[in-house]
Amino acid sequence: MRRYITIYKECIRVAFATALTYRMNFFLNTVIMLLGDILLPLITLLIYGSGAGFKGWNVYEVLLIQSVFTMAMAIADMSFHGIMWATMLAVREGNFEMVLLMPVDTMFLLMAKSFSIDAIGLLIGGATIFIIAIAHIGVPSLVIWLQFIALFIIGLMVMLGIALMMAATSFKWVGNSRIPEIFDSVRSFGKYPQSIFPKSILLAATYIIPVAMIGFFPAAALMGRGSYAMFGAVIPCILFMAAGISLYRYMVRMYQGVGG
Amino acid sequence: MGTIITVDKLVKRYETYKRGSGFKESVRSFFHRVAVPVFAVNDISFTVEQGDIIGILGPNGAGKSTTIKMLTGTLYPTSGTIKVMDFNPTKNRKAYVHQIGAVFGQKSQLIWDIPPIDSFRLNKAIYGISDKDYQERIDVMTHLFGVEDFITRPTRVLSLGERMKCEFIMAMLHNPKVVFLDEPTIGLDVIAKQKIREFIHEMNQRGTTFILTTHDLEDVEQLAKNIVIINHGEKVFDDSIENLRKVLGAVKIVQLVLQRPLEELNIQGASIIERASELNITVSVDLDIISINDFMAQLSKNCEFTDISIKEMPMETIITHIYQSKKDEE
Repeated sequence: MRRYITIYKECIRVAFATALTYRMNFFLNTVIMLLGDILLPLITLLIYGSGAGFKGWNVYEVLLIQSVFTMAMAIADMSFHGIMWATMLAVREGNFEMVLLMPVDTMFLLMAKSFSIDAIGLLIGGATIFIIAIAHIGVPSLVIWLQFIALFIIGLMVMLGIALMMAATSFKWVGNSRIPEIFDSVRSFGKYPQSIFPKSILLAATYIIPVAMIGFFPAAALMGRGSYAMFGAVIPCILFMAAGISLYRYMVRMYQGVGG
Repeated sequence: MGTIITVDKLVKRYETYKRGSGFKESVRSFFHRVAVPVFAVNDISFTVEQGDIIGILGPNGAGKSTTIKMLTGTLYPTSGTIKVMDFNPTKNRKAYVHQIGAVFGQKSQLIWDIPPIDSFRLNKAIYGISDKDYQERIDVMTHLFGVEDFITRPTRVLSLGERMKCEFIMAMLHNPKVVFLDEPTIGLDVIAKQKIREFIHEMNQRGTTFILTTHDLEDVEQLAKNIVIINHGEKVFDDSIENLRKVLGAVKIVQLVLQRPLEELNIQGASIIERASELNITVSVDLDIISINDFMAQLSKNCEFTDISIKEMPMETIITHIYQSKKDEE
């Protein structure tokens, strides 16, 4: 375990060194990611500014959901989303053997090696909106905070499961760069109040591909608007991550078995 | 010493898809692909002794890299067994790869945007190398290669030769007992090749066993004690370098650019084997009959030339010789 922490720390150091090598690229990436994802809260502000809105949710509540989603995306982009592109590239260019030659878990190593600090701007942007929204809604109790943190981590597990499933597909369908876009669209359901969706979508986003856990459920817990469905979704979320890990590991074994 | 690697009846079969050319065939293959079985490695057996340097030779597509991949455990065999230092490479991967090193001439372990020294540090963490061992090994290997100055420069600004030297350091930092080298000198100039060969030789003297795949006969002649030659996935030769020389005869290939066309060479033990043009000829020189020194002396008397290069026998010719000698034996 200690060795794995040391490796992760070293990978973070390498990511910083790499990012600082191309300072302009790092700066532009940070700004573009920030602008791209800050656009959503801006649209929310415009909608509410024009007198419209999501029924039953005030502007700060919606902003809170979206900021939680943005922070989750930023953390995922920094820590494990890179495995999708790293796997795709390694398989397509035939370099996956270089990862298999390392005496550590393949999935962990690819994840650690693809650590990126480009999403730091996104994290700061999301955190800023989060602070503004929470200041208007009211600071919750410690128990509620703990609930939020637990659900937020579970939301990250869902994202990890999605990332691993997408990465796993690249072993079979080499060069499938459009598949992440499909998952991106599915994931988007997590950044809106779930009550605006029809019941079928609500059920799917809660129990089948539990994307509601990415933004909505943790934010709802923080607002004291939790439900039984929210806690019932914890098990599907954990299963979803476990399915992602299992599929990825299975595809790695398949790669060793059939590659030429 | 003792046997460190045993390969027995190794087979790797995989499927590839047949595609025709042209628009019609492309459309057809989009809807229906015909799977074609390929035997990349077919019934290969050999052993390697501890402290040995063994060369696996063969033309492009012979199955050398597939064999190396199976030996490193990054590819599972279809059938047959591999035993390396009592490990089965397909089982307990993490423990096994901790004991081996690998350099693939066309793939890199170095991180492109940062200096090699930072990549070395990452491997130090991955292999759990102590600070003391790390520093000692870095000092020894950078000195052997003479790369002290450029391990702190970004990898992307290094030449291919410099990068390859750093790849070797990267692969050997954890002091592996066995190192697999897949075309380690590919694309390198003569000086860089020589430096790498000296390094391999030095590390071998210190006890590391090397398995080297190449299609450069010179790599093998300078380094390997034993040779396995593979062609179309099958083993065609497995013996010492001395015995290979006996099969091939001591032959050198000389390429000449002449000033004037030449009808006959008139040198005993040398014959023209190819005429690319009137002025470009390839000559085969039998060193059992005439030394290179005498050949050169007679050549300068018989003709005038503007360029000369002495080469090893091409791999295809070597394999033809081996097949021929097998037929003769039968």
